Amino acid sequence: MNMSRARKLSVAVTALLALASGFAGVSAVAASQPSSHVQPRTAVAGETYVIGTDTTFAPFEYREDGELTGIDMDLIRDIAANQGFTVEIKSLGFDAALQALQSNQVDGVIAGMSITDERKLVFDFSDPYFDSGVQMAVAEDNTEITGYADLAGETVVAKRGSEGETFANSIKDEYGFTVKALADSATMYDDVKAGNSVAVFDDYPVLAYGINQNNGLKSVTEKEQGSSYGFAVNKGQNPELLAAFNTGLAELKSNGDYQSILDTYLEQPAPVAASGFFGLLSDSLPALMKGLGLTLLATGLSIVVALVLGVLFGFFKVSESRVLRGLASIYVSIFRGTPLLVQAFFFYFGLPQLTGQSIDVLTAGVLTLSLNAGAYMTEIVRGGIQSVDPGQTEAGRSLGLGYVTTMRRVVLPQAVKIMTPSFINQFVMTLKDTSLLAVIGFAELTYQGQQIYAANFRTGETLLIVAALYFIVINLLTMLSNKLDKRFNK
Amino acid sequence: MSKNSAGSTSLVGSKVSVRGLRKSFGSNEVLKGLDVEISEGEVVCVIGPSGSGKSTFLRCLNKLDELSAGTVIVDGFNLGDKTVDLNEVRQHIGMVFQHFNLFPHMTVLQNIMLAPVELKKESKADARATALKLLDRVGLADKADARPGQLSGGQKQRVAIARSLAVNPDIMLFDEATSALDPEMVGEVLQVIRDLAAEGMTMVVVTHEMGFAREVADRVIFMADGVIVEEGTPAELFGNPQQERTQDFLSKVL
Ligand SMILES: Nc1ncnc2c1ncn2[C@@H]1O[C@H](COP(=O)(O)OP(=O)(O)O)[C@@H](O)[C@H]1O
Ligand SMILES: [Mg+2]
Repeated sequence: MNMSRARKLSVAVTALLALASGFAGVSAVAASQPSSHVQPRTAVAGETYVIGTDTTFAPFEYREDGELTGIDMDLIRDIAANQGFTVEIKSLGFDAALQALQSNQVDGVIAGMSITDERKLVFDFSDPYFDSGVQMAVAEDNTEITGYADLAGETVVAKRGSEGETFANSIKDEYGFTVKALADSATMYDDVKAGNSVAVFDDYPVLAYGINQNNGLKSVTEKEQGSSYGFAVNKGQNPELLAAFNTGLAELKSNGDYQSILDTYLEQPAPVAASGFFGLLSDSLPALMKGLGLTLLATGLSIVVALVLGVLFGFFKVSESRVLRGLASIYVSIFRGTPLLVQAFFFYFGLPQLTGQSIDVLTAGVLTLSLNAGAYMTEIVRGGIQSVDPGQTEAGRSLGLGYVTTMRRVVLPQAVKIMTPSFINQFVMTLKDTSLLAVIGFAELTYQGQQIYAANFRTGETLLIVAALYFIVINLLTMLSNKLDKRFNK
Repeated sequence: MSKNSAGSTSLVGSKVSVRGLRKSFGSNEVLKGLDVEISEGEVVCVIGPSGSGKSTFLRCLNKLDELSAGTVIVDGFNLGDKTVDLNEVRQHIGMVFQHFNLFPHMTVLQNIMLAPVELKKESKADARATALKLLDRVGLADKADARPGQLSGGQKQRVAIARSLAVNPDIMLFDEATSALDPEMVGEVLQVIRDLAAEGMTMVVVTHEMGFAREVADRVIFMADGVIVEEGTPAELFGNPQQERTQDFLSKVL
């Protein structure tokens, strides 16, 4: 790892604001270190760099048989090999990758990112490695839209924070259409095919690749002369990595490797033979199972921590001490009173900016889920204890048993029995909530599904498989829990 | 520990000594200055209309309710003294509730054994033997392994009495022990209390069973609106009540 801890409190507060504004590249890091001039060094040899990228931006990055591949991936790996350093790729999503770069969660980002003046304020860019441009596409069977002039009164989609969005916004007044921003290409294409919008503005290589993969769209206009893609590091950070990228890129260009990478992805990609549903199932199952494993791991860890928190704060809630009761109430209202998604963003992106301490995605995810579930568990424990007849406590105390003994032997065994169905319910809720961690790039089941349909455009079938897996696992676990409940809580 | 700290405030042989006991819930004063002396082996029945503070009075004797003012000395322990170990005092005072409050997740035997074992008064084996003896005494030897849910109301209350006796108290408090029972089960519970009285147990019995009070009580206390209106032997109180409120009450219940 080569994470700099330079980012400090000066930018901390902007973290959440940036999250709220969706795309942070513009808003976040105005107060940054002075731009240090890139100092070419050969200090990269033997280093490992963490590189953030988009989830799917074919043909630049996408998954094939569970492996990340694409122009960006081949480039960064070949350059790393050429320059003697190692890369660890984190597939986070475009917005999330930029967030991660700003919070020094990653050392660099390669994500088919256009070099713009705005981004140059925040990041240092490499030499351009690809000349892109925006192109419009419509549904295959659409005969009405043949140019921008036909867009009057219609809605188009573009990827949030992308060149496509900038371009669409720049001409929307002239042609009288509305621009809707979505997070990834697959969603945008589905939106167009579903008729929610009539056209999509996306980077031409991405569109061309998708059309060639039979994604159901066609292009009707020429590509706009556009910007160039660059590899980025955080402003003033990792200059040696940037220099190594530039040197490596130049070498790949001169030895022909660069051109052969481009040809692999852009020169007449072979149309994929659409396999049947069961083909899709068997192709996607290994990746989905890996995701399911992580889903269960995160659920298991979170539930255990949540149980501890719930019991602790639940007892605080029924205690005689006003301070403890207040403490528990504050905890519960914070975590029940804010969306889980915001909590996840906060722990993964916000906290590192506040503390200068990077956090891995599993830890952030488990922290989020357990604190959240712990708040609900607290209420379950409180409710369970309070629903036991006060006469039970009085009987215990009148026999001369102390508070703790009475709790342990008389109240809790009855409370646990009352609480068990709610515990099982919370367990299922937490399992389902793990799917929200896909947004911070935690490679659980939903995330794996997104990866798959983003590459093959078979959204409906893939989501059916993902949903079926959740359904089976949740129902099996519920049945098991109810069995155990019956056995132990007779 | 303030054993015998009662000193001059308590009569010789006095098991329970209550002086100027007041109890308020918020602004609602429920007990308005009670003075009661109960001597060893005495059986005191407390009667009075509902809401007059009988239960609260009993609950102040083992401090299930905090005292607002006055002193309560039980078995030599001053309950107002913060250094007194309440858990120890309560082992001297058995309490039987209107709604039994048996522990539903335990068997009858476990209900009775819980306190002696947890309080390390007896080994498990000894506690078991004691519990079986007590069950025999209340006529339920065959119900040792039953759950409270499988018992009738009268049986539950007899188990509850056995449970209180298991810690070997020298004072027993009964709070309307038969009020929640079907009429045909009242007798069996009263019989157990009657037996205890015959064995010389000091008891405070809150009851609506006037016939029982007349037969068993050494003294009857009539309470209304948080004060003791009148007290005396059953013959005095039932035969020749002095106060108008006592006469009123008795004319309604007798
Ligand atoms: N925990 C409590 N909080 C507030 N008021 C109470 C509480 N317990 C009893 N009271 C009130 O005290 C009064 C006397 O109650 P109680 O002692 O139960 O009377 P009794 O047993 O003679 O029917 C009633 O008015 C009742 O509402
Ligand atoms: Mg009462």
